[in-house]
Amino acid sequence: MKYLLINGNPYNDRKDMDYYIDRLSEAIKSAGHEAQTIVLRGMKIKPCNGCFNCWVKNPGNCVIQDDGNEVSRKYIASDHVILASPLIMGFLSSLLKNTMDRNIPLVHPHLEDVDGEVHHKKRYDKYPVISFLLKKESFTDAEDIAIATGIFQREAINVRSSLGFVHFIETPVKEILNAINIH
Amino acid sequence: MRLTFINGSPRGIKSNTKRLLDHFIKGFLETEGNTCEIEYLTKNRRSLPVLAEKFSAAQNVIIGFPLYVDAMPGSVKEFFEILEPYMGKANNTAIGFVIQCGFPETSHTRYVEKYCEKFSRRLGCHYLGSILKGGCEGLDIQPSFLTDKYYSNFYLLGVEFGKTGKFDGTLLGKLARPEYLSAENMAKVIPFINQGLWDAQMEKNDAIDRSFNKPLMP
Repeated sequence: MKYLLINGNPYNDRKDMDYYIDRLSEAIKSAGHEAQTIVLRGMKIKPCNGCFNCWVKNPGNCVIQDDGNEVSRKYIASDHVILASPLIMGFLSSLLKNTMDRNIPLVHPHLEDVDGEVHHKKRYDKYPVISFLLKKESFTDAEDIAIATGIFQREAINVRSSLGFVHFIETPVKEILNAINIH
Repeated sequence: MRLTFINGSPRGIKSNTKRLLDHFIKGFLETEGNTCEIEYLTKNRRSLPVLAEKFSAAQNVIIGFPLYVDAMPGSVKEFFEILEPYMGKANNTAIGFVIQCGFPETSHTRYVEKYCEKFSRRLGCHYLGSILKGGCEGLDIQPSFLTDKYYSNFYLLGVEFGKTGKFDGTLLGKLARPEYLSAENMAKVIPFINQGLWDAQMEKNDAIDRSFNKPLMP
């Protein structure tokens, strides 16, 4: 299995999440899988500007020439993508969200019925499972987690994937490995 | 009443969000003495702290954005993050949202609506509500029998808000329909959007043959 860990921690001076990702990556490799980490901080990834050229002009390719295309390429080549970010004002970092927004070339503009709701058609035959690794804010409560998880479940459907796990960095790495093995 | 509009669409002045907001603003300004200021996030991206200052001094704020991957666009999240120092300090600023999506059903926007409500409370703002509207991709090329209905409801919401400082619940309900599509409607709406909106643009760009290309295939 090919794992991709996308580190969306924007903070240079708070690296607990980075250390956790390193340990998780090592544990995944020790279990006999491939694991690669992308650190978004310091990469050039502009926000999606909604031009839709990736759907109607140059299907499947984003016109913005920066590191976003490379992230999409690695994403679609993976079996399981772990999206990591501290919660900031109750949601994923803008660093990670901007990167996720740039993944829309991976689906097709056409809509179809997916379990009673309209979603985009697949462009590729296979999409990775997506999981979320988060860090709580001092004020994060159960409601915040429920709202964020609700959005992640929807996102997984919309990118024609399935949701793996949602965990926080206080979870022992071993427990995450168990969660991974289920998918 | 003084109102600050923040248009969070990455498409800025060419956005579907602007088309909707314009009608709301027209209605809002019908009450004498009302004034309105419009800020575009695309123009403020390099000076977000200045916009945050404006936000903190505002009386009424409405933030509009399109749904991007089931939530706010990353660039709108950048603005939300800049507001972190104001958490709990907002002096009961009234705040509302306009969340529009290309999908025909409103169901897609419900979690981000919850997020916006929680975010407002966290800032210490008075939450006005969220105006949710599906079916908003390509408003400029949709037939006017559809768009006229949306626009008139946005206009009426603006009129009511201008008078009362509240979002009218009945109008919110009208705009938020349909929550889900019936199987019958889905069978009509899907080909209408796929061909009328997407294939038409691909044909114009000579891209229809490449429609299902897989350029990033491993």
